[in-house]
Amino acid sequence: MTATAIVLDGIVLGLRFGLLAAGLTLVYGLGGVLNLAYGQMAVISAMVTLFSIDAGVPILAAVAIGLLAGGLLGLIFDLTILRPIYRRQGEARVLLSLLLTLGVAFIVDGFLTWRYPFEGLRLQIGGGPIDVLGVPMPRGSIVGAIVILVIFGLLLAFLRATSLGRAVRSVIEDEEGARLVGVDPSLMLRIILVLSGVLAAIVAMTQSMLRPVNVTAGFEITVLALIVTVVGGLGSVTGAFLAGLILGVISTVATSQIGTFLSLIILLVAAAITILIRPSGLLGVKE
Amino acid sequence: MLDVQDLAAGYQGNDVVHDISFHVDEGEAVMIIGSNGAGKTTLFRAMCGLSQLSAGVVMFDGDEVTGEPAQRLVRRGLGFVPAERHLFPRMTVQDNLSLGAYPKRPDPETSSVVFDLFPRLSERRNQHAGTLSGGEQQMLAVGRALMSRPRLLVLDEPTTGLAPKLAHEAYEALAVLRRQGLTLLVAEQQVPLAMAFTDRGYVLENGVISLEGTSKELAADPRVRSAYLGVT
Repeated sequence: MTATAIVLDGIVLGLRFGLLAAGLTLVYGLGGVLNLAYGQMAVISAMVTLFSIDAGVPILAAVAIGLLAGGLLGLIFDLTILRPIYRRQGEARVLLSLLLTLGVAFIVDGFLTWRYPFEGLRLQIGGGPIDVLGVPMPRGSIVGAIVILVIFGLLLAFLRATSLGRAVRSVIEDEEGARLVGVDPSLMLRIILVLSGVLAAIVAMTQSMLRPVNVTAGFEITVLALIVTVVGGLGSVTGAFLAGLILGVISTVATSQIGTFLSLIILLVAAAITILIRPSGLLGVKE
Repeated sequence: MLDVQDLAAGYQGNDVVHDISFHVDEGEAVMIIGSNGAGKTTLFRAMCGLSQLSAGVVMFDGDEVTGEPAQRLVRRGLGFVPAERHLFPRMTVQDNLSLGAYPKRPDPETSSVVFDLFPRLSERRNQHAGTLSGGEQQMLAVGRALMSRPRLLVLDEPTTGLAPKLAHEAYEALAVLRRQGLTLLVAEQQVPLAMAFTDRGYVLENGVISLEGTSKELAADPRVRSAYLGVT
């Protein structure tokens, strides 16, 4: 592979990393909740799409159903296991969220591998490769990258240019300040959980355009999202985007030069170095 | 307009303030004075729905609002500017003000009232709130609260951290608001400033109200004079 091809692959991967982290980081920034079942949300959405396709639903409609399922999962999370978490404050809240969401992740993973061990969602994007800077890129890569860029654009426009988006950011900036201007933090958190479920689903869909999303993919997705979130800075969507791109390129370079088995370790090292140099991440909100 | 009866509040079951009763009538400016640690902030935070109160009744505009969270009270017309201000530091002055009007769109008339009152905010409208000086941040905190068009504005130590000249200016701005018909309740340690500006006042000492009266009466009271006005 040429250097250009490796970098382009890295960017495509990085965009997916970034969107993955955006969903996780917003929930953490707003509610101090780290959702370790995030990858499982992505996997369940993918499975819902897969079963819809198997049941004869047209592909686009099946994808839409999968995205809806992601949003619904976010809502169910907010209404159920996050309730006892919200009653805690600060460190106790983070710890309890880690434990409870990890528990959910294990249950979901166990159930899926028991019932549907060999299922995987693969969305075929027809047509040959597209030439980018002299590199033939698989059509799925390009479609996925465009979808993610559009979603990122919409997400940033929502957060910066709409009154609801500003209200969401106000809670990340200063929860008491938000309450003083009439923003209800728990309502904002509910909206963002739904959104993060949809983002997880979008990541699963775009990934499935390149390679299958298997029932066991949940933990890998969560770990990647965590690494990118830490590097980008907790609570920052632009930080997630930036960190995603950087880590995506690092990952493909590492894979091509050393081997796939080391790429996750190299990402962890990159995250560790970032924390040492900038404890709040690239663009993180300082505590 | 605001009527507080037998309020008690504190932290983790220990009441810091007890048996607090006071009222603010429409069009009045009322002060609650007391030294550091007397319980002013505890009282205001509980009354304005930022923290829990353990006993008492709060009436606003004839409705009981005891224990209602701040986000609901502000929609009823009770605006609160806490001493720590709680601005959104990484958002622009303009965005901070727009959020003040949430969930409505910022109303241009109210925006121009705020910018007339604090021209500095207009100059700095595209700057991040976190980069403002202490005085400007205080202006922004008041401006943000005004954007919700409150009928009662509650301010906790509006002069905290301000140089004497800026503290004066802050009270001049409050006097303008008062002339425009806003009802005001201020907690203050800088007693002489508050005294010149308000009609009535209460003295909060060790968590209870020990004295009340018109600001003139309080200014003449020997206990107030020695404890808060530095006159012996």
